[in-house]
Amino acid sequence: MSLLISLLFLLVAATGTGVALSRVPRRQVMAMAANGLSLTLLFMALQAPDVAFSELTVGTAALPLLFLIVLASVRADGAAKRPAGKATEAEPEPSPTPGAGAPP
Amino acid sequence: MTPRVRIAVFALAVLCLLPAFAHVAWHMPPFGAHPLPYGDAINAAGTRERHVTNMISAVNFDYRGFDTLGEEFMLLCAVTGTSILLRGNRGERVDAPQQVPGRPIRDRSDGVVLIARLIGPVTILFGLYVILHAMTTPGGGFQGGVIVASGTLLVFLGEGYRGWRRLMRSKLLDGCEGLGATLYALCGFASMLAGLPFLQNMLPLGEVKDLFSGGLMLLENLGVGMAVAGGFAVLFLEFLEETRVASDGDEEESGG
Repeated sequence: MSLLISLLFLLVAATGTGVALSRVPRRQVMAMAANGLSLTLLFMALQAPDVAFSELTVGTAALPLLFLIVLASVRADGAAKRPAGKATEAEPEPSPTPGAGAPP
Repeated sequence: MTPRVRIAVFALAVLCLLPAFAHVAWHMPPFGAHPLPYGDAINAAGTRERHVTNMISAVNFDYRGFDTLGEEFMLLCAVTGTSILLRGNRGERVDAPQQVPGRPIRDRSDGVVLIARLIGPVTILFGLYVILHAMTTPGGGFQGGVIVASGTLLVFLGEGYRGWRRLMRSKLLDGCEGLGATLYALCGFASMLAGLPFLQNMLPLGEVKDLFSGGLMLLENLGVGMAVAGGFAVLFLEFLEETRVASDGDEEESGG
């Protein structure tokens, strides 16, 4: 196993842990996209370009986007149904977790 | 269930499963081992038998073309189900959907617009390239189709929702999805009309490394590309419609 592949395995493990440790849904989606991107690099290094293509397009572009839309839709519904004058932040911000892998 | 109990249950499960896991992990073939004769056989015979250099396309569209037909219809069913669930009675007006009150829509920065306008068309073009070169280089109908659909999202980033909706005619996308899947199935029946088994490659195979080599695989690849591009675009459209307020013709949600 070459150094490159070992490093990529570590990167996949690190970003995967980041997905599990992210508590804010929006950040988790971004962490998931980062995980998909590192998986793409790993598949490239393992000489599987077709799988890398699929992972890049589905795991990094399409799936996070659908999740983001769902989050936006849920928040919009919540904002519409909440009585006026009680405009609180829709998602409570928990303590920042390490390895979120995405800027706030 | 308190966190303490949860962790105790987790630890118990780990203790029970660890021996089995360790046994399997210990007896796995070493990293990079290649005990699979099927791939070698395809690599050895594929170019000679099917005149294509991308063996994955040869497997997907020819050697195991029937599996791909099943996957094609799985995608069709998934997209149809999503559309049935999400689509109200919305029409084709692109100016009707409005933003939900209370949800501010910030202006895009000029940089985002510039980058999206530069990269969007190139991405769509690259997707078409990937679909077209399925027989010679990595990629194919599925990958290229998703790239095309993702490229339209850059149009959304660059032009905003209305400009994007002017591009995304849902009747056109529905047709793309359905016709692509139909084209794939018709390829199979065309073989049967010629007196051959279902999906048997009966068109002239062409020359190796030529863009239009592979015979019937070309048509099947085109069908998959159309179906995937249309299907993903329909998904994006139906999902993004969810962030808009319902227009007059839309059915009202009960309660709330």
